[in-house]
Amino acid sequence: MSFVSLAHKLLSVVVMACVPVVVTAQAPDWKKVRIGVEGSYPPFSMIAADGALTGFDIDIARALCAAMKSDCVFVQQEWDGMMPALKVRKFDAIVASMTITDERRKVVEFTDPYYDIPSRWVGPAAMKNDADPAALKGKRIVVLRNSPRAKYVLERYKDSEVLQAAKEPDVYMELAAGRGDIAFGSSVVSADAFLKRPEGKGYRQIGPLVKLGDGVGIAVRKDDGALRDRFNAALKAIKADGTYRKVAARYFDFDVSGDVK
Amino acid sequence: MNDLLHGYGPVVAGGVGVTLRIAVGSLAMACVFGLIGALARLSASRIARVLAQVYTTVVRGLPELVLMLAVFYGGQYLVNLATQAAGWPDLDIPPATAGTLTIGFIFGAYLAETFRGAFLAIPRGQAEAARAFGYPPARILLHVTLPQMVRHAIPGFANTWLVMVKATALVSLIGLDDMIHRASLAAASTREPFTFYLLTAVIYLAITSVSIVALRALETRFSLGVRRLDF
Repeated sequence: MSFVSLAHKLLSVVVMACVPVVVTAQAPDWKKVRIGVEGSYPPFSMIAADGALTGFDIDIARALCAAMKSDCVFVQQEWDGMMPALKVRKFDAIVASMTITDERRKVVEFTDPYYDIPSRWVGPAAMKNDADPAALKGKRIVVLRNSPRAKYVLERYKDSEVLQAAKEPDVYMELAAGRGDIAFGSSVVSADAFLKRPEGKGYRQIGPLVKLGDGVGIAVRKDDGALRDRFNAALKAIKADGTYRKVAARYFDFDVSGDVK
Repeated sequence: MNDLLHGYGPVVAGGVGVTLRIAVGSLAMACVFGLIGALARLSASRIARVLAQVYTTVVRGLPELVLMLAVFYGGQYLVNLATQAAGWPDLDIPPATAGTLTIGFIFGAYLAETFRGAFLAIPRGQAEAARAFGYPPARILLHVTLPQMVRHAIPGFANTWLVMVKATALVSLIGLDDMIHRASLAAASTREPFTFYLLTAVIYLAITSVSIVALRALETRFSLGVRRLDF
């Protein structure tokens, strides 16, 4: 046995023993797709009592994978680490209610939007129905950090104090806990996850619906245009055969596709 | 009980195993790094001493979170560059490995100082006597200094372990499905954060309380033959 092959063997034994590495052959045929999801953004992404992932994002991802005839694996990732994890190939696509913005387009490639839901303000019922910067002067605004909504608020509400929460449900918790005067969030999340619940009593949506970004899309790496095209084709297919409408009806009683203007 | 937790009890409980595995694995890693660090700091070689000094100074001086993110994302980036340059398939560092390695590496720096102090607490004559009997250095370490060092190291070691168990909570940030991650998901899904974080607090307290009892027993065992003085 030559020295090199011995060294090689030793090295592989050492690697096998100490570091349980997983070798993933990068299949360009996308038979296997790893999808990064979040899990704490109800009703889009959450876990059931048995620990299984559920939600609109999850069901849409499953439907898309079925249409692509791909084998999909969900990888749970905290929101703050989504982009870096995609970049270093921890997974191949993000299906986590990520709004398409020009800023994010510089870093990742987006599919066509798979849903589009406007944002809206939520505040005490007694508050005046006005969310203009002038009306919110000196008020404390709660918003999800790292989001187009946070950017919008920071840019336009310069005379207000902005409190950034780590997760969308935390936005409403901060509001209910009195650390903020008004919250800016997804109109659906605030209605479903907050206003319908006991702690949302005494609060209501305020001001008009605000449309930010270009809808919510699936993000893939810049050099994976082929995967983006597959997702787009699959999205068209599930919209055409009625699967999309069936999935959406499980969660919403109105159109979320963004196709109806 | 399960009613109070909306059926999410088993989900959170399932994360306890991950937390414990990470903690125990990291402790083993930290002991290895700590021992190497301590021996290097006490070695006759100047280079070894300087390297160990840099390790304990830098690692103890950085927030654990920063190091963990640097290893998980930065480390993976470097690995990707290397595998791509070599034309190999992707080599994915799983979060469990990254987490265990990083925590072990960080707390190894603390243990290196604990172990160094413990080695210094052993009277010089012990190693000298062994050398006079013709013991080779490895045997002196294994049979004479190491067993005596343990007794001096246990109080500092216990401290490090307790801090480390709690530091494992950080691994949820790099996508590891530990108790804290499960609890945060359950909290978001049920919108009852207090219930679930209180549950994790109780579990952490249980783990650390059991550890304290076990480590005290260990200290008694290693202190046999040493008289305890009460002032």
